[in-house]
Amino acid sequence: MTAPEVVSGEVVSTPAATVAPAPPVLTASGLKVAYPTPRGTVVAIDGLDLTIRQREVVGLVGDAGSGKSTTALALMGVVRPPGRILAGSIQFDGRDLLRCREEELRRIRGRDIGIIVQNPRGSLNPMLRIGKQIGNVYRAHNHASPLEARERAVDMLRMVGINDPDRRVKAFAHELSGGMAQRALIAMALSSEPRLLIADEPTSGLDVTIQAQFLDQMWETVQRTHSAILLISQDLGIIANYCDRVLVLHDRRIVEDAPARDFFARPAHPYSQSILGLQRASAGEQAQARRASSAATETLVEVDRLTKHFPIRGTDKVVQAVDTVSFAIGRGETVGLVGESGSGKTTIGRCLLRLEEPTSGEIRYRGQPISGIAQHHLRRFRSKLQIVFQDPYDSLNPRWTIGRILREPLDLHTTLTGRAKRDRARELLDMVGLDPNALDIRPRGLGAGAMQRLNIARALATDPEFIVLDEPTSVLAPSAVVGLIALLQKLQSDLQLSYLFISHDLTTVQYLCHRVAVMYLGQMVELGTVDQVFGSPRHPYAKALLASHLFPDPTRRRVDRHERETLTGEIPSPVDLPRGCYLYGRCPHATETCADAPQALDRQPDGRLVRCWRATAGEIGDSA
Amino acid sequence: MLLRYVTKRLLIGLVQLVVLTVAVFFLIRLLPADPISRFVGLNPSEEAYAQAERSLGLDRPVHVQLLHYLGLAPSQGTGLLQGDLGDSWVSGSPIAQEIGTFLPVTLELITISFFVAFLIAVPVGMLSATRPGGAADRGVFVYSLFAGSQPEFWWGLLFVYLFFFVLGVAPAPLGLLSPMTSEPAVITGFITIDSLLAGRLDVFLEALHHLMLPVATLVFILSGPIIKMVRQNMVRALQSDFVLYARCAGLPARRIAFYALRAAMAPSMTLIGILYGFMLGGAVLVESVFSLGGLGQYAIRSILAFDYPAIQGVVLVITAISLSVYLLLDILHAMIDPRVAY
Repeated sequence: MTAPEVVSGEVVSTPAATVAPAPPVLTASGLKVAYPTPRGTVVAIDGLDLTIRQREVVGLVGDAGSGKSTTALALMGVVRPPGRILAGSIQFDGRDLLRCREEELRRIRGRDIGIIVQNPRGSLNPMLRIGKQIGNVYRAHNHASPLEARERAVDMLRMVGINDPDRRVKAFAHELSGGMAQRALIAMALSSEPRLLIADEPTSGLDVTIQAQFLDQMWETVQRTHSAILLISQDLGIIANYCDRVLVLHDRRIVEDAPARDFFARPAHPYSQSILGLQRASAGEQAQARRASSAATETLVEVDRLTKHFPIRGTDKVVQAVDTVSFAIGRGETVGLVGESGSGKTTIGRCLLRLEEPTSGEIRYRGQPISGIAQHHLRRFRSKLQIVFQDPYDSLNPRWTIGRILREPLDLHTTLTGRAKRDRARELLDMVGLDPNALDIRPRGLGAGAMQRLNIARALATDPEFIVLDEPTSVLAPSAVVGLIALLQKLQSDLQLSYLFISHDLTTVQYLCHRVAVMYLGQMVELGTVDQVFGSPRHPYAKALLASHLFPDPTRRRVDRHERETLTGEIPSPVDLPRGCYLYGRCPHATETCADAPQALDRQPDGRLVRCWRATAGEIGDSA
Repeated sequence: MLLRYVTKRLLIGLVQLVVLTVAVFFLIRLLPADPISRFVGLNPSEEAYAQAERSLGLDRPVHVQLLHYLGLAPSQGTGLLQGDLGDSWVSGSPIAQEIGTFLPVTLELITISFFVAFLIAVPVGMLSATRPGGAADRGVFVYSLFAGSQPEFWWGLLFVYLFFFVLGVAPAPLGLLSPMTSEPAVITGFITIDSLLAGRLDVFLEALHHLMLPVATLVFILSGPIIKMVRQNMVRALQSDFVLYARCAGLPARRIAFYALRAAMAPSMTLIGILYGFMLGGAVLVESVFSLGGLGQYAIRSILAFDYPAIQGVVLVITAISLSVYLLLDILHAMIDPRVAY
């Protein structure tokens, strides 16, 4: 633990008033970094000041492109070429890092300041075994023979939680999963026990259950080695759960510096208030009222025992992507699909629009099976069911003007005149909160949030009744997420839209959805209202998933909880599935019976569905 | 893993060799040329013509000729399968033996040239990559533009003029040894190696002296593309995330340079292989300028004489060597970069 005011738990006042602050490890002031480009110099950060104290976990938040990664590197005196540090000073250990000799700086990097970066696999040398790489870093700062360095590498890999480190030291970067590469990187960063660890989005690209494990481990490791951490993340959940203090980077400088609890309770800067908007709104009365009124009257889409297998080429095996999934979505209702990658969420969404043909099972739209719709009627059906994809950039043609992008669905599905189409396109832009006069520009320069709004406008062009939202917020900056969720909600109440909302971000799911289905390995393991599933999950997997999720609330920190609902081991391959319960082998509640007995979805007294006989029998208590 | 990769590559190489052999066999016979009349002269009698056709074996159906050439028709005599490339129609001597005298000259010339070019190009490429736009980088740019824009025989002639005629530091462009020197016994066919094996240091040094200008010419031509390739790969490697991370981890500058060089060398290997294969036949102009009887000269002589077995033999040998070089470099590449063997 770091700052004592967090341990005491109850009341948080300004730390300076009660306890003398620990001495600073690193102090940056007036930092300015710029990148020369063919069109002139781009200043990434300008006049940045920050202080990191001993044994403190400091969070740094900010939008994509706000200069977080530039800051991380600049604090070590490194800039990605061809950038330059133009001004400022970095006080570390009584020296100014920007004014000491290159050799002195080299000794500090990696020994006194360690860093983990966003792209772990790309940051490992692809041509050297990871044990050798960790050893090289260790030997760069310590007197050690190659053999001792190798032993150190094995120890470090064991410490960061890699199974079988004796074998893994011989692995190359491309043989590691993203999570393991990230651990290898942290092993390297911590091998010389630095006094400061800079972690730049250390969990981007990891699944939630693994993300939580990883962050726990990093947090514990650093506690053990008495280091300070600068934890850079867009994810407010991570910040709230692990940080003592929060810095907000906006407009190229630090605009807010506050203890974590103060930051989440009373953000001072308008930008901080905007990124915390979602969390504040979801706690508000409006959201409560919304969820209460979820009783849908009319069923719009029904999924009946949907199964989808993908054959593996060259073998007679199949990947079981979706396994007998049934649910219904009412008019004006939002159903959330949550689960880790590979759980079949996206495949369900694609089957709903007939972008994939189901292996078996039926999907009915207004009572009519969509598999029966002939090819030439499919177009009419598609105009009523639309999809918005995860990556807003990939799903828009950057060479087309906004007007042409919006006209395309109108050309296909309507018989409007050219003038009417332009009017309709303006109207659509207005609906999604974009400038209606932007028809003739190309979307290239827009941010991810505006791009995603444009995607939504295109989906709305044909007056759909139902939209599949496939991780629409996962690449957006926190402030853009808030706006997009509010927009989706407004469109739903204005147009009576139904959504299937696929996401791994439980915070947005909690806010937008009426009901939520938890998926694991192609099966639905729990289906209930948001209050039921989020308030008291019953299925062991749902419990673990929710426990892993880092809600942006510093009063419910994961690191303060004593008993953590966790799963052990890795997700089984969807090719060779376990015979009985799919969670057998990872589940803390498993018994002999679970190994052989496939589990059925059983209706619980409160109306939800749970696929676990022990939960149905009431043998697994509420722990969340 | 590496063994499986090599086996796979060898099998593919074998298939390529067989397909190419058969293809060349038919392609030559598609030429609108009559090799027989080359041998019987103008206005031959019908008898003499038929006689020549028989003696060359061209009276037989094409598939029989092919089977004989491949060595699949034991009644007709030996062929490729027995290691027999056939006899030259011009000289009557075995083609394997003739290639055996011409090939070492070329191999010697281009292998030394590649070695020297590599030694020069890699450090220069690295230097210009570490400071893009710097003086070294601009110098290299001008040089590769300059060297690449003139044909190699012209550079050869210029070098002869400058170093032999004006400066007098190089010997006359008249083969590998001066006519007065007695040649060492032929063991490998490579004069530099044979002279050392025979303990004739004087011959060795003389051969090197004679190789100086042709090698310099080829090095001058070859260095341009190799420098460019190394520079480009090096620039990319220096901008990669793992080099940035190596800096952040405080690795010494020398180790970082080595990381980047290793990453830059791997893709450069491919270019070296392609250039080498090309030079086997493409060094002919330089060989001509310096009166070195190399494989290229033999190939051209055979083509002009419609000497079918000799042409087939040359193509086969060049292909086999190119494939071996590719394989060798691919194995090196796989050893440098473990991702390749997948």
